[in-house]
Amino acid sequence: MANWFPRSTTTLLGVTLLVTLSLVAFAGAHASEEAERAFALDVLPLLRQKCLGCHGGATDGIKGGLSVADRDGLLVGGESGEPAIVPGASDQGTLLAAVRWDGLEMPPKENDRLSGSQIAVIERWIEAGAPWPDEATLARYRAEVMAAGTSEDGVVVATSGGLSDDWTFRRYHPDDLWAFAPVQELSLDEQRAHATGRSSDRADEPHDLAFEVAVIDSLIAEPLVAAGLEPTGRADARTRIRRATFDLHGLPPTPEEVEAFVAASEVDADAAWETLIERLLASPRYGERWGQHWLDVTRYADTGGMSNDYERSNMWRYRDYVIRAFNSDKPYDDFIVEQIAGDELADQSVRERTDGSEAEVHRVQQSGEYSQREAEWIVASGFLRLGPWDNAMVEQDEARQIWLDDLVNITGQAFLSTTMRCVKCHDHKFDPIPTRDYYRMYAAFATTHMAERSVPFLAEESQAGFEEGRAHAQRMLAFAAAEKTRLVEKREAAARAWFDDHGLPYKNENERKELPDEEKPPRHVGLDHVEQGQLKVREQDEWIWTRRLERYEPMAQSVYNAADFTLAWNGARKLRIKRDKKQPSEAKASFILLGGAVTAPGEEVGPGVLSAVPVAASTDINEPHLLTEAIAGRRLGLANWIANPANPLTTRSIVNRIWQGHFGTGLAANGNNFGAKGARPTHPRLLDFLASDFVNNGWTIKRLHRMIMRTEAYQRASSAPEDNSWQTVDPDNRLLSHFPRRRLSAEEIRDGILLVTGELQEQRGGLPIMPEINQEVALEPRMIQFSIAPAYQPSPTPAGRNGRSVYAYRVRGQADPFSELFNQPNPNESCDVRESAAVTPQVFTLLNSDQMTDRSIAFALRLEQERDTRAAQIDRAFELAFSRQPSDAERTRLRAYLEEMRAYHRDHPPTPRVYPTEITRSLVEEFTGEPFEYQEILPVFERYEPDTGAADVSPATRALADVCLLLLNTNEFLYVD
Amino acid sequence: MMNLQRRSFLYGLGASLGAVAATQMLAAETPPTAGPLAPKPPMHPPRAKNVIMLFMEGGPGHMDTFDPKPELTRLHKTESKLTGGLETGFKFFVGSPFTFRQVSDSGVVMCDQWQHLADPYVADELCNYRGCQAESLNHPEALFHMNTGSRLGGDPALGAWATYGLGTENQNLPGYVVMTELALPQGGSTNWSNGFLPPYYQGTRLRPTGSPLLDLASQPNKTRSHQRRALDELAWLNGEHLERLGRDEKLAARMESYELAFRMQAEVPEVIDLGQETAQTQAMYGLDAPETEAFGRQCLMARRLVEQGVRFVQIFSGGWDSHDYLERGHTARIKSVDKPVAALIRDLKQRGLLEDTLVIWTGEFGRTPDNNKRGGVYSLGRGHNNKAMTMLLAGGGVKPGVVGNTDELGASAAECVHPIRDLHVTLLHLLGLDDNKLTYFHGGRYKQLSQFGGEVIQELLA
Repeated sequence: MANWFPRSTTTLLGVTLLVTLSLVAFAGAHASEEAERAFALDVLPLLRQKCLGCHGGATDGIKGGLSVADRDGLLVGGESGEPAIVPGASDQGTLLAAVRWDGLEMPPKENDRLSGSQIAVIERWIEAGAPWPDEATLARYRAEVMAAGTSEDGVVVATSGGLSDDWTFRRYHPDDLWAFAPVQELSLDEQRAHATGRSSDRADEPHDLAFEVAVIDSLIAEPLVAAGLEPTGRADARTRIRRATFDLHGLPPTPEEVEAFVAASEVDADAAWETLIERLLASPRYGERWGQHWLDVTRYADTGGMSNDYERSNMWRYRDYVIRAFNSDKPYDDFIVEQIAGDELADQSVRERTDGSEAEVHRVQQSGEYSQREAEWIVASGFLRLGPWDNAMVEQDEARQIWLDDLVNITGQAFLSTTMRCVKCHDHKFDPIPTRDYYRMYAAFATTHMAERSVPFLAEESQAGFEEGRAHAQRMLAFAAAEKTRLVEKREAAARAWFDDHGLPYKNENERKELPDEEKPPRHVGLDHVEQGQLKVREQDEWIWTRRLERYEPMAQSVYNAADFTLAWNGARKLRIKRDKKQPSEAKASFILLGGAVTAPGEEVGPGVLSAVPVAASTDINEPHLLTEAIAGRRLGLANWIANPANPLTTRSIVNRIWQGHFGTGLAANGNNFGAKGARPTHPRLLDFLASDFVNNGWTIKRLHRMIMRTEAYQRASSAPEDNSWQTVDPDNRLLSHFPRRRLSAEEIRDGILLVTGELQEQRGGLPIMPEINQEVALEPRMIQFSIAPAYQPSPTPAGRNGRSVYAYRVRGQADPFSELFNQPNPNESCDVRESAAVTPQVFTLLNSDQMTDRSIAFALRLEQERDTRAAQIDRAFELAFSRQPSDAERTRLRAYLEEMRAYHRDHPPTPRVYPTEITRSLVEEFTGEPFEYQEILPVFERYEPDTGAADVSPATRALADVCLLLLNTNEFLYVD
Repeated sequence: MMNLQRRSFLYGLGASLGAVAATQMLAAETPPTAGPLAPKPPMHPPRAKNVIMLFMEGGPGHMDTFDPKPELTRLHKTESKLTGGLETGFKFFVGSPFTFRQVSDSGVVMCDQWQHLADPYVADELCNYRGCQAESLNHPEALFHMNTGSRLGGDPALGAWATYGLGTENQNLPGYVVMTELALPQGGSTNWSNGFLPPYYQGTRLRPTGSPLLDLASQPNKTRSHQRRALDELAWLNGEHLERLGRDEKLAARMESYELAFRMQAEVPEVIDLGQETAQTQAMYGLDAPETEAFGRQCLMARRLVEQGVRFVQIFSGGWDSHDYLERGHTARIKSVDKPVAALIRDLKQRGLLEDTLVIWTGEFGRTPDNNKRGGVYSLGRGHNNKAMTMLLAGGGVKPGVVGNTDELGASAAECVHPIRDLHVTLLHLLGLDDNKLTYFHGGRYKQLSQFGGEVIQELLA
């Protein structure tokens, strides 16, 4: 099989696309031979791929009576009586009109529609007499093109092979393969040419960041010049510090920081900017902001979703790992390997420091005697546990398949910017990824099993709040257990009476389970329908609170390797390392699952990686894309292949994400999909320059931030250029003639408000914080299996509530409505870019909610504390919220409004808010089909320290709070320029 | 300041329009064609304009509602060797505890527990479809599948696709409204998610208690005129800001959303005020009896919403998961929905709305003909069945009568068998939408409700 990269070396499988290969083989070919070749290589694959499903095969199933299975079928045509093609006459026949969607619309799906060039190919073939050579001839044409690797119609890509020859030998437009092609480094001469004359005069040699910055600016400038666009100048200092602080911290700068930066900028603008960037990168707030971007991609949540929405009690340790990784600038290649195979690194390390036996590795897996470094690796592998998953009522094989599919998909999206989901059932329609590769990657995970593992806490992991949290869980557990016991005792008393009445010896519930019906009392004897329902709720609650206690134990959501594992029917409840006594010594074989069905195994496959990527995963020259078949080491092999410096998908993926974090849109706009259907990069050479620079300089992300933020492109004003031509030439501002204005994310809005009001509590990491969320949502009943989930109880203290949003408890089945409204993504899907559409319910929350009312009161109290006069308070409010002073018009107007509101609030006293300590909940019970009620305790509210509310302050403060609320609702606050 | 006649022409729910300040907005004539939720023409002549979907969470037993199985009665309590479903070990057949009768000339059959739905005025409108098959055996996956076309959860819901395709008539109300009888169904809001469609198309919950939309009302100490003052002040501040920056459509859209919110604050409480209905209507929906009140309220609300131009209304009723005590459970559940559903169809029909409104009554799957010996003789019930189910459709271009069938035990659909995606394609078809053309580009391809295409179930069409 031919390659579009040479397989001559064992480590690096190639560096150039063979698109320039000579076409000599085809020169001088006879015209009819050309048409035959076009048929073999283009027309026939199109007919098979697009038409044959409905128009071929068995005659009775053919749609419209038309068969495209052979030439005769086309000549005869379908029910219409007209031929589909008339050789030599492309203006006749039904086929071309149908594929043009002119009258008939074929293929009927938007997704499957033929492109203009595909239609042209068919048209030319018909014009040439529509030759349809025999199989041997067809095979000869295919072999020719494979030998050449390319033809004028595109490139052939060597892969592990598709399910059909048509797929295997199909050709791609080279532009569609950009992401698979090796990263093109800029030569030093080219870099010098770019850097010269740009930016500061220090920019003449590499290894001074100014040089790289100049190269980037030059690569941004080229297309702008070509488009005739004049970029805006630098934004003023106030705008830039606000931009940079939100960008790196997700928070606004303080007025003091703004003033200091403005002053420093007047002395030396570039030095002040560099100092600012260093200060921001050195703060732990940086990891809290940029860790969130990665948690969006990996779908962080504290629960598992689906039926039971079981808590993943220790998932917070993974969240903190990610934040630490960003703060310590962990090299990205390490970051990759630790998340995909951290547990294997730990096993390897144990093997090295002990006698090296598997028994010892297994023993330590149970005991958790890990070093700090090993512990951190295992915590990192929590990445593999982030998808929504629950096996309740799902058969074991299928439950396992759901998880393994999830791992293949998320690994592809997160690290390779490649969507794998469609390849589960068929060879990729557009990209060079055969189904075989999907199942090779699937096999790489096939010996992986989920477990909550014993892993010691790290010194840097916060254990604050453990005592209090444990006490709360124990209180809830005790209540549930007592209620359960009361009901069980009542039932057993009735059972005892029944046995007495029937003259039989008493047997407890377990003992009587298997007795015939006539020898035992009815199942819920002694309990009415309300009590039956209550018992189920209490049993479920007992389990939920028992599990919550695991949160305070040295455990981690992780995985382990084994040949096989039997999952219990409610296995998601309690996942532990469990090696069946009779573990086979070898892994089970893996197969292509035909049509994605676990019941339809096809050809056997070994563990492996994407074969279209010109990077070897093994030293076997014949099978460079296969991994070890041993039980252990598969994931490590996969991870190392992903983290290979030559892997173009990986390096482009991460630098593109970082760029997107700064500018809102990636150089390639679809951060999770670099395939033919994703957007092509707007600045391909820049993307490759960043990727190669990234690898050459130790995979450091902070260096990337420095380079990007120091460019002129990053520092430009966000107001559109005076000249309006950008609106027609570049309406989406992809060429970056000005800086893209963006709305703050949900987390930035909440955290930013808390900072402005002075309420933000910054404890770093540890247990999830429990903010106050909308009370109706917190207490509303939501179904889980057999029961209703316990109510959401916020933390009793402001310190436990008003922390940063990245630490907030995330429940898949119950989103915080505030965050959800401001487009915090649903953690069931990987999110590569946040939405920011304005929908009306956002207004209700920002203007009317209890939470925003409390924030506005806190803001007003802060202003009163820091400034004496109303005028000064308004000025201070502008400084805090907008990083600037009000204009005279704003001052005048808001002072008048403040006076008006002072009068208003004297006549409109608020009512204090009430926090219930117990609620009645109701549920329709399936035993009876009728609703029943039960009491749930909310002990948090017995010792609740509420935030200061409207009822606690004077009318004057409430009036000032009205002004504050306005400012927090403005576009100026909610957008960053 | 408000021109009531023009209200309905102002675009809605976060619509984005040109860069005009909010105050100018109210003075300007705004075409109803603007904005993501503005009404859009269907792709072909529609049979229905609105949908009311009544979702019976838990999975009603088809053989205990509309699909009688005499053979099961004969085999009652004998051993079952059927495979499939979740239950393993010793299983026995369970005959339905109910007796059945035909209620319409078109052949619809229902058990005696249905009293109101059996009235010929209502029953003559019903189509009972027995051929649909789910895939998943458990609730959230099956709920996601029926609601979003995907078992995984996270894709756009049917109602989101419908509003994406057609917009909605009333810009002062959400286009897709969701109500729950008591608790949120398993999977929660993922069941009415906009998925990858823009957020305008997300289902909006109208809550049964408390504030109908979260934080719809101002804080109690703030009056409507106080709110107006605040909005005027805010519009001025935003206007100053926009003037400094120059044209920006997104900023302008946010400003507009505040004015729409102000109008919704007035309109929503009016629409949901059931006190405006006559005592007779309220009684017809069962608002005067505790067992029917909750669902009755929501059915009545659904009619009012559709009347006001809401495109898609969905109501969830829970508690149909009768693994045990089937007779008691289904009797009570049927009783709680029978009168309200019948009233809804009757009311829509009397008002001439039924021909434009498609009413669907369905669960996420059906139930098995057999069961484990869970509660022995004392608590007969059924497991989950992803191979057979039953649903009712009425109005909006469906043909009354029975379509499709299950096998003689009710174990599997046997005639006119279609997967859920074909049902979805059919529902879109009735709304004038073609699933193959109603696509959205996301994650590298044009996505559609049916995932990969499906076919219209012709037998269901009038």
